[in-house]
Amino acid sequence: MIAPKHILGTFDEALASLRNNVLMMAGLTERSLDRAMKGLFQRDDNLCATAIADDEEIDQLEKQIDKDGVDILLRFQPVASDLRRVVSAMKLSSNLERMADQATNIARRARKLNHHPPLPEMELIVPMHEQAISMFKDSIDAYVREDVELGRAIVPRDEKLDELNRVASRRLIQRMAEDPDQLRGYLNLMFIGRHLERVGDHATNIAEDAVYAAAAEDIRHQPFVGAT
Amino acid sequence: MVSLLKMPEILPRELPRQSDPAAPEEATKTMMIDVCDLDFNYGEHRVLHDVSLQMQSRAVTAFIGPSGCGKTTLLRCINRMNDLIENAHITGGAIHLDGTDINAPDLDVVDLRRRVGMVFQKSNPFPKSIYENISYGLRIAGVTKRSRIDEAVEKSLRAAALWDEVKDRLEKNALGLSGGQQQRLCIARALAVEPEVVLMDEPCSALDPIATAKIEELIHQLRTQYTIVIVTHNMQQAGRVSDYTGFFYLGRLIEFGSTTKIFTNPGQKQTEDYITGRFG
Repeated sequence: MIAPKHILGTFDEALASLRNNVLMMAGLTERSLDRAMKGLFQRDDNLCATAIADDEEIDQLEKQIDKDGVDILLRFQPVASDLRRVVSAMKLSSNLERMADQATNIARRARKLNHHPPLPEMELIVPMHEQAISMFKDSIDAYVREDVELGRAIVPRDEKLDELNRVASRRLIQRMAEDPDQLRGYLNLMFIGRHLERVGDHATNIAEDAVYAAAAEDIRHQPFVGAT
Repeated sequence: MVSLLKMPEILPRELPRQSDPAAPEEATKTMMIDVCDLDFNYGEHRVLHDVSLQMQSRAVTAFIGPSGCGKTTLLRCINRMNDLIENAHITGGAIHLDGTDINAPDLDVVDLRRRVGMVFQKSNPFPKSIYENISYGLRIAGVTKRSRIDEAVEKSLRAAALWDEVKDRLEKNALGLSGGQQQRLCIARALAVEPEVVLMDEPCSALDPIATAKIEELIHQLRTQYTIVIVTHNMQQAGRVSDYTGFFYLGRLIEFGSTTKIFTNPGQKQTEDYITGRFG
């Protein structure tokens, strides 16, 4: 249901602008992650370089969103759902900026891996990538559509991503012992797994902020009840 | 660099309690004013419909709502100021103050208005000295001993955060004070007769921001000793000063609850639309 307009048209415009910047930042972050992972899987240094360069624009958007958010708080003193949306937008931008940093980190590691023969253990990263990206997309979807149930469902999925990372790490450590000549490569893959696990953490944070914005419920730091 | 863990004076001794937006800050509050199924008319025109709410003692309750919603009418019911208006009368329900029906036939209305003081939108000091503004109510109540009056004047002016500004000119005419000082004088005047409840009808609407801030700070200090009910058009003020907020519309109480809940997650869409500026 579309909420009725504010009597102050400038208030609606400011909120719409803030929301649009958040969506733009989410799109750029998704693109950056996509480029970094393609740079890894397709061994494409150009894609890696582009992903690293993307970070500057995303950083500037974070600053703009924070500035616009504070401006709205100052000028309009929002309450209730308006206040929750502004606060959540500012928190989201922080999580998106950190996700973009992870994309940059992945791209840097991928460039190093690209200079060495491909490792079959790259396959360990594939399910982690899929899980992290799906969590990210769904968390943004939950925010955009104010879908509380979708937001709640993302939290247990992070446990699955953590487990995939643990399995991958154990395997890579085993391979390091078996094939020490490729130690650097296995280490870089472990770090990439860690960066993807952090992407999942940030997606979880975004989902929690989406639930708060929509329903004024703080679902952070609750006991884990089971992964899906 | 010294570890923070070795600096106990910096670290809190206990983790802060997670606040519950639905519960009042202190669990020991009791109900002071009970409005039950109240209907009120000006002649044939019904202006309050079936209003029920309970105001806690030693807490601040704010009434908000668009103009004409009945919030000032309800406020004036609590000390029966509406009795002074021709054809204005309660047509249903009751108001109890600390368990006593304030509309009982044998109730002493003068004593009610001593127990339930009122501060108005436009400050209205008497055209007398500052001292006489405070002492008038005491003399009417039968206090004659000069030392006792002196003590009460100083006490109430201190309670209203005005003593330091006027202690050297108590004999001066109160109309010479600034708007903010006059309003604090009116509060002191109400406090002098030792009320239990203080009603405030938009007490800051005619004041500049600094005077407003001083009144709000005063309300914050008084809330530990008095039950305060405030009508305000300024929602940010309601958010700052009150513990509980009631939203009124067209003579009905739409929603009542802790101020934190009303302003962060109201239960009624009408409340949300009003406080976010989507209607009103």
